[in-house]
Amino acid sequence: MQKIHIVGLVMIAVAVGVLISMMSDVVNYSNFEEAISTQSRVKVVGVLSKDKPMEYNPQKDANYFSFYMKDDNGLEKQVILNQSKPQDFEMSEQIVVTGSMKNDAFVADEILLKCPSKYKDEEIYLKKEQQKI
Amino acid sequence: MEYIGEHLLPGQIGRLLIVFSFVCSILSALAYFLGTQRRDLPEATSWKNIGRVSFGLHGISVLSIIGIIFYIMTQRYYEYQYVWAHVNDDLPYRYLASAFWEGQEGSFLLWMFWHVILGALLIWKAKNWESPVMTVMALAQILIGSMLLGLHFGSGEWEFKIGSNPLLLLRDTMQAPVFANADYLSLIKGTGLNPLLQNYWMTIHPPTLFLGFASTVVPFAYAVAGYWTKQYKAWLKPVMPWALFSGAILGTGILMGGAWAYEALSFGGYWAWDPVENMSLVPWLLLVAGIHTNLIARNTGYSIRATYLFYALCFVFILYSTFLTRSGILGETSVHAFTEMGLENQLLLLIMVFLGITVYQFFKNYKSVPTPEKEEATPTKEFWMFIGALVLLFSSALITVSTSLPVYNKIVEVFNPDHVAVTIQDAVEHHNKYQLWIAVLIGILSGFTQLLRFKERNWKNYMPKFTKHVLASALIAGVFTYLSTLWLTIVAWQHLLLMFTAIFGVIANLDYLILFIRGNLKIAGSAFAHIGFGLMIVGAIASGLNKHHISSNPFAQRGLLDEKLLDKNVLIFKNMPMFMSGYKVTYQNDTLIGNERVFNIKYEKMDQDGNVIEAFSVRPVALYNNEVTKVAAFNPSTKHYLHKDIFTHIANLPEVEADIEARHRMEDSLKFVSHKSLIGDTIFTEKFFGIIDDIVRNPEHSEYEKEENDIAIGLKMTFRRPGFEQGWKAEPMLVLRKNLVYSFPAQINDLGVRVKLPEEIFARVFDLDQKLDYESFTLKEGENVHFNGSKIVFTGFNPNPEKSDYIKQEKDIAVGARINIEDAEGQAWYAEPIYLIRGNQPFNLKDEVAQLGLHFKFLEIDPKTQTVKLGIAQAEQEDQLIPLQITEDALRSDYIVLETIIFPGINFFWVGSIMMMLGLLASMFHRRKFA
Repeated sequence: MQKIHIVGLVMIAVAVGVLISMMSDVVNYSNFEEAISTQSRVKVVGVLSKDKPMEYNPQKDANYFSFYMKDDNGLEKQVILNQSKPQDFEMSEQIVVTGSMKNDAFVADEILLKCPSKYKDEEIYLKKEQQKI
Repeated sequence: MEYIGEHLLPGQIGRLLIVFSFVCSILSALAYFLGTQRRDLPEATSWKNIGRVSFGLHGISVLSIIGIIFYIMTQRYYEYQYVWAHVNDDLPYRYLASAFWEGQEGSFLLWMFWHVILGALLIWKAKNWESPVMTVMALAQILIGSMLLGLHFGSGEWEFKIGSNPLLLLRDTMQAPVFANADYLSLIKGTGLNPLLQNYWMTIHPPTLFLGFASTVVPFAYAVAGYWTKQYKAWLKPVMPWALFSGAILGTGILMGGAWAYEALSFGGYWAWDPVENMSLVPWLLLVAGIHTNLIARNTGYSIRATYLFYALCFVFILYSTFLTRSGILGETSVHAFTEMGLENQLLLLIMVFLGITVYQFFKNYKSVPTPEKEEATPTKEFWMFIGALVLLFSSALITVSTSLPVYNKIVEVFNPDHVAVTIQDAVEHHNKYQLWIAVLIGILSGFTQLLRFKERNWKNYMPKFTKHVLASALIAGVFTYLSTLWLTIVAWQHLLLMFTAIFGVIANLDYLILFIRGNLKIAGSAFAHIGFGLMIVGAIASGLNKHHISSNPFAQRGLLDEKLLDKNVLIFKNMPMFMSGYKVTYQNDTLIGNERVFNIKYEKMDQDGNVIEAFSVRPVALYNNEVTKVAAFNPSTKHYLHKDIFTHIANLPEVEADIEARHRMEDSLKFVSHKSLIGDTIFTEKFFGIIDDIVRNPEHSEYEKEENDIAIGLKMTFRRPGFEQGWKAEPMLVLRKNLVYSFPAQINDLGVRVKLPEEIFARVFDLDQKLDYESFTLKEGENVHFNGSKIVFTGFNPNPEKSDYIKQEKDIAVGARINIEDAEGQAWYAEPIYLIRGNQPFNLKDEVAQLGLHFKFLEIDPKTQTVKLGIAQAEQEDQLIPLQITEDALRSDYIVLETIIFPGINFFWVGSIMMMLGLLASMFHRRKFA
């Protein structure tokens, strides 16, 4: 057996080990129900509840933004983000937040927005429309 | 329907050329293929020539297609979908190229463009290798070119398309009522380039990155050519400079992306382990691994198969990365992927074709590839270099697996629709955790392997020298690691180890550079590249591990949130200095230039006694969309030092400043109280009182840009708080421009007072005059008349009259009449109407004493008798009143939310990365001579 084969086998063994350990970083996209029951850090996918209030008052606290989000199962919870309000937040089609439940709110420190593409549903800009403004 | 004003010819030529270039690439691939298969026959040269000519025609067509698209873009032919989607009338010429490759079709063309250039170079330089190498190149062009065909087959559920044509007409791609109008072109305008991409980085980053992408096909093509023609060793030499070139350019392209993100976008860093970044890094890692095994194979004859595999995988992973970024599959995990275009299957086919070739050739030739009889000895350069290449492969595999989870989800969903998608919890933490060990291994290996020798035959004699140098390097690295802890906070032993191994790599390579190759710069490329890598890691530890926010407000109440979630942002008001971490930070002002609002923020570093020891300003930007109605993004501004950067960006603006709709909503929601007042009288609001000081005919406002034929009216006002001396100025204004009225309210943020002018003010100023009945009087200097109980004295001329509504022009002859008035109560007033001759035309500019309702006109002047003719009129008190609206509940809008991050030692990262790329380029020029 050549040395290089031994090295190869060792590397494969390490690779398998590392891949298995990597699985611990892999999580399911979760929902609020799980977040409540486990109280641990999870990623929740959902949509913005546009009828509920959004709060961002930087004069009070520039790192506090709160909104309501409905997860994929339809459960609605308040989400508190300790960042400033992201750009184009209202336009988001889908939101992914990472964090955990505290009391009755989901406290998140990471947020990813999926925004509609530039072309979809876009109306043709009319010069006339522009002149009205 | 006959449409008016369309330019159909460029599109027709372009669409024809797309098909023609596609056919030519097929022809070229076939001819080169046959030229290779029949290379031993006399006809081979003819096949090669056919291949050349058809590739040439293909190249000319591609260049022409690009030329046509640029042409229709410069002409703003919005009848073309691609032009409409990426250009608008305001787009400056310098961003035309960015607009061209903003879209998928344009970026495919950019890719093909580089393939054409590289193909031309290969035809010129590749000699015997031309036919097989160009077969692969032409095949790549067929598959990429098919992305532009835009052919549709079938219908309904079974409809599928091949490619997306960049030269389609807008009316063919979209259904809108506007197309019912034959003159629809006069009604539409382009949507323009995304403001985020209106940036010089967008001009230089994509062409560099795509040259990097495109160039990876060459090493792959040589590998295929070597196996195909059974010249298993011969290809290893000519491929080397190409692989080094590709490594340098692709690496530069990736780093440029990082620099762009750091310098101009608000990502707050240069690397975020985003899937798009990862999947451009992986091919580069594989390419670098291939360069190493290539070197082994050239020097010792080992690792030919590995080299083949690395170069092939590099290209396949370029295609895989293209698939990931362009198929829309990354939607949930990446911030900057393209959106779906329906080309997924075609992209998959692209991968499968080249993966198929790789797998087929690799196994078919497995046994035929020559390998040295004896296995390599352990204390040799080739052995440890190979280990290093395996480490890179390992790194690529880890990154690929984690990044491909969205693909895994998609596949599982096909079989199990109830599958709950999986993802990585914290991507940055995850990748750092594993890649740290890769970097540790690379640091160690790049250090001591450099000091080893190929085909070591006399290890016994060499070992003491080797050991001595390695130990010395380790010792010096240890000292530097200790020193680094005095500068940085490094707590975890893993990070200390990483710092040590990175420095060890640097020192050992310096040692190699100075004591082994004696500074021979010709062959110093590898030493430079490895030193560069070490410095990059040092920079990454310093700036990544020790980056810290200084924009935190220690007084904020944070009951609800975790301690570890530090405050990142702080709110500062205009002209109210804020103290943070030893700096006094002042938001001084902001100006709107085009669609960029540039903020001027001053930093003053204070010592313990409060003295300013250093002052500088940064200018972060709020970037508005093309219509300047809404903030699209915030761009940072960074103060660079040698040892650190201070990175400043605006995290947020008051909503009313960021979004014009929010401002309208706010304006509508405020309860304005209407007032009417005379100039000089006091207006009492609930909490304050204000006085109109004057009416201004040429008012100024920070947001008002004067245009010709504007009619503008403004007020000068002063507000006071009862019992306080201090006065706050407010100057609201109103503009009449082409029958539209624009209001520019004034806000006093300290009081929450906002004043706006209603349209009636125009009536008050302009219509009033028509109601007046002027009585004329001829007066000499010093004479007086009595008018409605006031004594009016003409006291003399003013040869240099100054008035707010009089803008002096050259050749004006203007004179003012000084008029003193004493009213019935004995109070004195003053007025000065102006008589003006401009271009032989007499004008008069009236004046008024608003409190008395007296209006004066300077009607005539008689130089002989030294008399003036004055028109005097008395207005009704009701008509003199100035209407205005005031609210006291306006929210402050003079603040910004600021994020400031210090990145220590980030220059190590940039210097290191530049050294690495220069090292690769230097090696390329060195190897080129051998080739």
